Order: sequence, then structure tokens, then C-alpha cells
Amino acid sequence: MKQLWIILLLVVVTLLTACHDTEEWNNDPYGNFDALWTALDEHYSFFEYKDIDWNEVRARYRTKLTPGMTQGELFDLCSTMLKELRDGHTNLIASHDVSRYWIWEQYPLNYDERIIDEHYLNFDYRRACGIKYQILSSNFGYMYYGDFSTNIGEGNLDQILSYLSTADGLVIDVRSNGGGFLQNVETLVGRFIDGRIHAGSITHKNGPGHNDFAEPYDYYFEPTKNHIHYLKPVVVLANRGSFSATNNFVSIMKSLPNVTIVGDTTGGGCGLPFTSELPNGWRVRFSAAPICDAQGNLTEFGVAPDVKVDQTADDTARGHDTLLDSALQILAQKH
Amino acid sequence: MNLNQKIRNRALAALAALVVVLPVAAADDSDSIDVVRPVASMSTVEVGHASLLDTYLTPITYTGVNLRLGHQSMRAMKFSPERWVSRLEAGIDYDNVQNMVGNNTMHSLMVEGRWAMMRRYRDVFTTGLQLMAGGMAQLRGGAIYDPANSNNVVAVKIHPSVGLAGAAVYGTRIGSKPLTLSCHVSLPVIGAFFSPDYDESYYEIYLGNRSGLVHAGWWGNRFDMDTQIAADIHLGETVLRLGYRNRIERSWVSNINTRITTHALVLGIGGEFLGIGRKGLSSNARIISSIY
Repeated sequence: MKQLWIILLLVVVTLLTACHDTEEWNNDPYGNFDALWTALDEHYSFFEYKDIDWNEVRARYRTKLTPGMTQGELFDLCSTMLKELRDGHTNLIASHDVSRYWIWEQYPLNYDERIIDEHYLNFDYRRACGIKYQILSSNFGYMYYGDFSTNIGEGNLDQILSYLSTADGLVIDVRSNGGGFLQNVETLVGRFIDGRIHAGSITHKNGPGHNDFAEPYDYYFEPTKNHIHYLKPVVVLANRGSFSATNNFVSIMKSLPNVTIVGDTTGGGCGLPFTSELPNGWRVRFSAAPICDAQGNLTEFGVAPDVKVDQTADDTARGHDTLLDSALQILAQKH
Repeated sequence: MNLNQKIRNRALAALAALVVVLPVAAADDSDSIDVVRPVASMSTVEVGHASLLDTYLTPITYTGVNLRLGHQSMRAMKFSPERWVSRLEAGIDYDNVQNMVGNNTMHSLMVEGRWAMMRRYRDVFTTGLQLMAGGMAQLRGGAIYDPANSNNVVAVKIHPSVGLAGAAVYGTRIGSKPLTLSCHVSLPVIGAFFSPDYDESYYEIYLGNRSGLVHAGWWGNRFDMDTQIAADIHLGETVLRLGYRNRIERSWVSNINTRITTHALVLGIGGEFLGIGRKGLSSNARIISSIY
């Protein structure tokens, strides 16, 4: 009989371990603030890298809460707190606004689509799967990809690269491309390599502690099989608006021997964002899974160009794109 | 005769003995070869309430509607029809759940199949009450989708398991109509289940990192229980079911907490099917029902 009770006790204990409580917060300013702070505390991945004392941040902002504050006031307070993370992937999303930390707003834009369209393409260009492309008068190819959220079809890419195959070099312009799907990075890179490359490594939080990370996983890209490749000299144009997946694209292209990065440092954003939720229905997006470049470096604050170039006012007045002109010069030297 | 031949001959002899003995054992409860084992079949539509928490997606518990299409069939087992019963269940569950403030909806779609083999004890405690207990194997899988999320937009669930199965069946009458009251329980004990790590993205899995995705499941990290209580009224050859289903699913792995509970009203229609084919029922046939 005693053994039976012991067995029953063991069964109950094991059942209790499978049933685990999750903290619940009230839908009031304090509950929502605590839910937000805790979501970041347990899931955000760059506290150590950015040397952020998150407990100190909590103490500093929580004292500003009042029981009767409006949703707008709470949103503004929480948004300001999130800016302490200096992270373009961190947003507070409410029905009336989306908070943001867009670092490129503080830097030269270095891109004017109208100048390209009017003075380089003469408003005569092809467009497929979100990629604008043409062979310029200098016989160098130009393709502009403005959004990694637009899926690239392999068939479309065959058509584009087939058309550009007679060009002596290629400019891939990803300025002001705010990112999108990383699968498109692999699709695009696969056309500019002729062998397997070490693209980088990815890790993720494996627990709620600030330093709870899994072992980084090295990942590789292969050349796209049975499709057209472009292995002539390539220049990638980037600016501070080249963010997230675009930042990842630039970091991988930079490691290729026939590729030169021209322009400004990219906007960064190397943490794959996850989303959590507050009791009042607001969403918070944040960096959860860091991706490193092939050398094992985090590119959260951007990828530096091989050749730093800013748009000049004189060139703007003359209808010239300083960065594109530099790219064409580099291709001419390599040709 | 060498040693290998001796072993082979003994193995053949043992096999021959089994072939001879098994049919005798199978005939234990059915002293005629014309034993008919009808299939008690029931198809159900279930509507109820779902409560769903999966902290990979959100720390907020969502609540809403559970819909299920289910099918259950029971049959006395061939090798010992008086004593052993099999139960086959299949179902597809859809949960449409909202957060507390109602500004987001998650969708859960799960498919399951379950087969149980149970020992039957007749007239336990009182005449007409059957108790059944045995083991079962189950495969349950699907996904929970949160369209408002970014790279944690979906939580995939795959859970093969084995465990305990039980049933209590009581036959009575309501007026002139036969009424069968039943309670069916399925309780996975051990198995395996899929789960990404705490904040592991499906993109990382897509890139090839498959380590640590499959976890051994036991009551220390996973607990499931499916209970159905039903009243079946027999209208001629048709059986109508009114019942209640409760499903509890809990798991705690890689600091990811999953808590799913459903309560549903069960409406079903079915009957017993003899499955005797063109030969018809012979005069000395003995029908052994699995449940009624």
C-alpha cells in the first residue's frame, strides 16, 4: 500500500512539472509596461553587445507611470524606453502608431531614384519581380532591388541575368532597401557564386537569461543549379537605408572576391525579429536571433563599404549620382 | 546436423507450434468459426470553447471557438472477440481564438489518429456495465498560426505517442429505446514531439540546423488527455450521439509553455455495421459487439 502511494505521488509530481504557469499581467499602465519590459528582458538578444543595463532602464521609466495615464501617453513612454535599445528592428505596434528607431534618418540619404531614372535610365528600363534593370550607355548593367519582401522568381532572375549577360560588369543597387525575406538573399546570392560559400552563422536565445544563446550554426550558400549565373565584376551600392535582410545581403556579397561594396555603411539590423504581445493588444517586435557574417562578426550597426562615397550637392545639381558614378568607374577599372 | 541447422529446426518447430496454438487460443471465446464482429461506427461534429496559450507565439492566452470533425469506430478483436476490443479514432480540430482585447485572431489546425486495444470486463459492479482498459498509439500534428507575428509566426506541432486507453460503457433503456452511456479516455504516456528551441526561428531550421528539435515526451514535460462522455440513443439501426469532449494538452520544453484546453458539445450519428458481405449471416453465426 505504501508503494502505491509513492507511485501516485510520483505521478502527481511529474504532472505538475508538465503544467507550468506563465506570468499574467493586468491590462493597465503598470501591467502593460511590465509585460513589455519582461518580453524584452527574456527575448531581446543584444543587451550585452550594446552594454544596456535593462534593469536600470526599467527603474528609470517605471517611475514615470501613473495609474490614470492615457494609452497615448503610455505608448509614448514605452516607445521612448524602446529607443534605449538603439535597434531598428524594435517597434511597438499599436492601432494608432508604430514606434521606430530608424538610424538612417540621421545620415545622408545618398539615393535619389529620380536622378537614376532620368539621367541614367532615361525612363527606359525593364522591371521584373521588383527588380528594375537596364544596360547603361557605358555597357555596364544596372539593377535596382528596393524591397527584399518582393519574392524573386528563379525564372525572372534568368530573364534578367540573360539580358544583362552582355554587360561588362553589373551594379546591384540596394540603397534604401529596408529588408524583407532572407530567402531572397539566398536566391540572389546564388547567381553570383560559382562554388559553395560560408555565408555566416546564426544563433538564437535558448533561455530567458540575457546570455542564454545556442551555439552559432554556420550556414552555407550554394550556386543555384541549372540557372544563369553572373560572374563578371559586380559593385553593390548601399546606404544607411540598406537594412535587415539587405544588410545581410551586403555582408555576404562583401565576402565575394569579384564584388565591391560602394556607398555608405548599411543600416544594420542583424537580429532576426520575433514578436510578442501586451495585454492591451499592442505588439512589440524585437531582435531575437542574431546573424553573424562569415567572419563571425555581428553587423547590428551596419556593414562598412569597401569604398566610402557620399552624394555631393554638386552632383545632385548636375543630375549625377555620385555613388553610381563611382561604381561605374570601379567597373571600368576592373574591365 | 550442425549447430545452425539445429537452431533453425527448433525455430521452425516453435513457429509451427504457434501457428497451431494461436487459432485455438483465438477460438477461446468463440466456439464457432461464424463469429461476426460488427463495427460500431460514429461520426461526430463538435463545437465548443478553446483556450490556447503557446509562449513561442505570445504570452497571452487566447480563447475562442473549437470545431472538430471526428470519427470513432470500435470492434471486437479477432483473436479474442469476447475479451479484447479495438478503438480507432480520427479527428481534425480547428480553433479560432482571439486575445483578450479582441484585436488579433490565431488559428490552430490539428489532425489526429489514434488506435487503442483494450481488454474488456463485462458486468463489472452491475449488470450492463463494461469496463475497458488497454494501450493506445496516437499521432497528432498540426500548426498554430499567429498572422500578427514576424519570424515566430507559426508553431508546428507533431506528437507521436503511446499510452493508456480506457472506456466505461453502460447499456440501459430510455422508454423503449436502447441507450448506451459511455466514457472514453485516451492518455498518452510517452512519445516524442517536435519543438524549436526557445527563440529559434524556422529560418534557422530551414538553413539546416535540425539539432534539438525532437524531444522525448513524458509526463514530466508533456501531458495530454482526451475524454469523451457520450449518450447514444438507438433508433432502429441508427445511433444518435449527444456528448461532451474535453481535451487537455500541456507541454513545457525549452522554456516554451503550451496550454490548450477545449470543451466541446458532441453531436454524432452512426450505427453498427456487420460487414458480412455477399455470403449473408449464417444460421449459427454469433454476433459479438464491441460496445453495445
